[in-house]
Amino acid sequence: MKFILKPVGSIHSPFTDKAQTPILPTRSQFKKIPTGYLFLLPFAIGFLTFGIYPIVNTLALSFTNTTIMGGDGEFVGIANFTRLFADRVFLRAVGNTWLIWTLNFIPQICIPMLLAVLFTSARLKIKAVGAWRAIFYLPNLLMPAAIAALFGTLFGLYGPVNQFMVRAGFLHEAFRFIEDIWVTRSLVIFINWWMWFGQTMIILMAGMTAIPIHLYEAAVVDGASVWQMFKWITLPLLKPILIFIFVTAMAGGMQMFDIPFLLTDGKGSPLSSIQTSVILMYIKYNSPKGHIGAASAVGVLVFIMTAVVALGIFYVLGNRDKDDTKSKRKSLFKKNTERSQS
Amino acid sequence: MINKYKFGTFVMRFFVYALLFILLLIVIVPVWLLLVNGTRSTTEINQGISLLPSTHMIENYKLLLAKGLDLPKGFANSLFLAVTSTVITVYFSFLTAYALVVYTFRGRKQISNFIIVLVMIPMQLTILGFYKFMANLGLTDTYFPLLLPLIANAGGTFFAKQYLESMVIQDLIDAARIDGASELGIFHTIMTPLAIPGMITLGIFSFVYSWNNFFTPFIMLSTRSKFTLPMLVQLMRGDAYRTEYGAIYLGLGLTIIPIIIVYALASRYIISGIAMGAIKE
Repeated sequence: MKFILKPVGSIHSPFTDKAQTPILPTRSQFKKIPTGYLFLLPFAIGFLTFGIYPIVNTLALSFTNTTIMGGDGEFVGIANFTRLFADRVFLRAVGNTWLIWTLNFIPQICIPMLLAVLFTSARLKIKAVGAWRAIFYLPNLLMPAAIAALFGTLFGLYGPVNQFMVRAGFLHEAFRFIEDIWVTRSLVIFINWWMWFGQTMIILMAGMTAIPIHLYEAAVVDGASVWQMFKWITLPLLKPILIFIFVTAMAGGMQMFDIPFLLTDGKGSPLSSIQTSVILMYIKYNSPKGHIGAASAVGVLVFIMTAVVALGIFYVLGNRDKDDTKSKRKSLFKKNTERSQS
Repeated sequence: MINKYKFGTFVMRFFVYALLFILLLIVIVPVWLLLVNGTRSTTEINQGISLLPSTHMIENYKLLLAKGLDLPKGFANSLFLAVTSTVITVYFSFLTAYALVVYTFRGRKQISNFIIVLVMIPMQLTILGFYKFMANLGLTDTYFPLLLPLIANAGGTFFAKQYLESMVIQDLIDAARIDGASELGIFHTIMTPLAIPGMITLGIFSFVYSWNNFFTPFIMLSTRSKFTLPMLVQLMRGDAYRTEYGAIYLGLGLTIIPIIIVYALASRYIISGIAMGAIKE
């Protein structure tokens, strides 16, 4: 118990009695165990029980043929995994998830970037930035389940979109939007963009307003164009924030469930074109017998894939230039945090 | 030269406002259609689009209940879960963050960094191990699986840590110690009142998260009387409601109205909170 002997910094007030030398652990000796650890105890217990154990348990289940109905199954080795790769359904689901997420992420980063530049522009001086921001963020708070059901109804055969299109003469007769692969995919992509572009914009704006104005002033003196300033000042200094947005959006995108699940029939119709990895996991779990072992295998593979990509991005993009620019950037973002908190 | 520049700015502004207005329509129109169609009868909805409310809200509501969807119960369940999970998240997140900000001990920095990594771990993918664990304890189909994990909420702890770092006054804590306050007592009586703005912000986020959460309750709960609102939305997609558009819209509208009200009252807290949670080294 080395740490008991060490002075424990701020909690070691001069009023703690040093003279007392107890034989049994008394209250005052108990106090010398860094109180910080005691405060961390609930989190540690909660994390081990509800964070770590489920991960281990999922991994263990993925090597068994456990079903919900049949109780604990037997160890089957990697049979669940070989079966996943054999029947192509899994690869299609992973492919769908990546496709939908990539096509969603491009506008989700580009449009907010444009908006953030416009809103922070000293030349344009856009009015009521706070109000625009608040409105654009609204969709993010609405229930994804309800939004998916809403768009499913709006684009239904007798829904308002068909009514409008037919009456305005764009279509001869009502179109079965939800039965078309690319319309349905586009809808999932659009809904995700609709829900997240405001949030991305707010984060980017916070990052941009933290960039010291004198950098731009110096660039103007040197005759830089708006595009050059964006490319050589704004983008490099936003890099940590862009990595953050990318990684969180990716981790969220790989877990996409509510919207594709509730937009159509809950199986990723039409032709499984919006069947994401988590929907596939749910289908296996919800099969007549409840193949929880096979479903766990899906979870394990997607979990590993997401973690590897996220950590890879962190290390590749985060550490590529380790020279002095990094320390400068660090101090900049410290300032940034302070400012956004005030 | 100056006039040309001014004219250019004027033209640019015109296009920017046009773009903003288009985005405004894209954001507002679906939500507005949802709310308005909830007050129109199915016949009216089938006759055409209107952006003006009608008078059939009560009828739609009766229709919604008549098909066996216990919306008030779902509302109560969702509210209970959202309030309870907000209290648990805020209390334990700030408790953990307080330890990381105020005390010095070995491994403090590593634990802080570890929590940042945890924020990005896709926990939803381990739900089946969690389900089996809860099933073995006999806790499936109760609210415990939805509440207990919040004791260790990485996102909440990260936010609370960012917040406390900006406002903790070490001298105040030391003064309280000299006055003989216990460590936990200092957290409860001195830090908590000071941290209330941050707690409200985190509280709103966890309320909204719990209110909107579909996947976890969908896996864990099986008794209809325990269903939350998003699960009732899922039931509404079923066949009984296929043609009752007015009732569907109203049901969907009722699930999002509380959030719109919360947002209207507290958008300032929410907007500042997003930026705070995201910007870090």
